[in-house]
Amino acid sequence: MKTNCSHQPDCLKLIQRILDKEASAEEEARFLANKDQCLPCQEGHELELALRKALKTSCHSKCPSSLLESIRSKISSIILLILLLIPLFCWFI
Amino acid sequence: MSTEIDTAPALTESQARALFEKEFVPHLDAMYNFALRLTNDEDDAHDLVQDTCMRAFRFIGSFEPGTYAKAWLFRILKNNFINDYRKKSRGPTKVEFEWVEQSFAGEDDPEPAFQADLQAETVNEMLGDEITSAIQALPVDFRMIIILCDLEEFSYEEMAKILNIPIGTVRSRLHRARAMLKETLASYAMKKGYKTDMLSA
Ligand SMILES: [Zn+2]
Repeated sequence: MKTNCSHQPDCLKLIQRILDKEASAEEEARFLANKDQCLPCQEGHELELALRKALKTSCHSKCPSSLLESIRSKISSIILLILLLIPLFCWFI
Repeated sequence: MSTEIDTAPALTESQARALFEKEFVPHLDAMYNFALRLTNDEDDAHDLVQDTCMRAFRFIGSFEPGTYAKAWLFRILKNNFINDYRKKSRGPTKVEFEWVEQSFAGEDDPEPAFQADLQAETVNEMLGDEITSAIQALPVDFRMIIILCDLEEFSYEEMAKILNIPIGTVRSRLHRARAMLKETLASYAMKKGYKTDMLSA
């Protein structure tokens, strides 16, 4: 196995595009075929996966229910306002 | 100047309400999370999501059902954030800001100078707090794109629309943001004495 990858910057970009689902099927197949022979690419792939997993498990927050209620009531008052204003407007014309 | 015409949605009351419940509510957790990461403050995040929903609701008539509401909402949220953020930080006026944004839009972010030597196991051993503070430590443009991509899984094309930048810039900015994130994590790991190699060129 290679312990040195001569085109690592390009490999890393490809790894990221593959994980972002933006690489073509050929690019992905080519990477997977070479991965077993290249240690830096294997480690790079594992690191990118680990980072995504860590972000998904750590950066979570739920919308507080008070916020949802507050938005709903604001929307209700807008609707009410529109319902009142439109007939008024028509009446003046 | 933004053209803010108070357009009453060309929908009936119940249609508008139903559209809100169906198209907005499922994305509120993601919107709140995005807002919280951007502002780093619960009250600001609350206001930002609320303003975004009100603005989106006002223009709900221009929303095409069946299109991706999440990307539309995130774009409004990001624009709201930039305008508010600018006000709070007393930055340039809107016109100047747009000029700045456009002048950078054509350029790709430069290549990261180096990639930190960080191991997958080190990342796996890290605490959630370390990951979130590393994210918060990123400049806001880089934080934004990492969240949009890695957390919300928007495509490059959707991110280009949300951020109003070319796809090439999405790609290079993401690459740079990830290099910065790894650098920050590697520095945490060194401080804590996780076993890592020295940063390599
Ligand atoms: Zn390689």
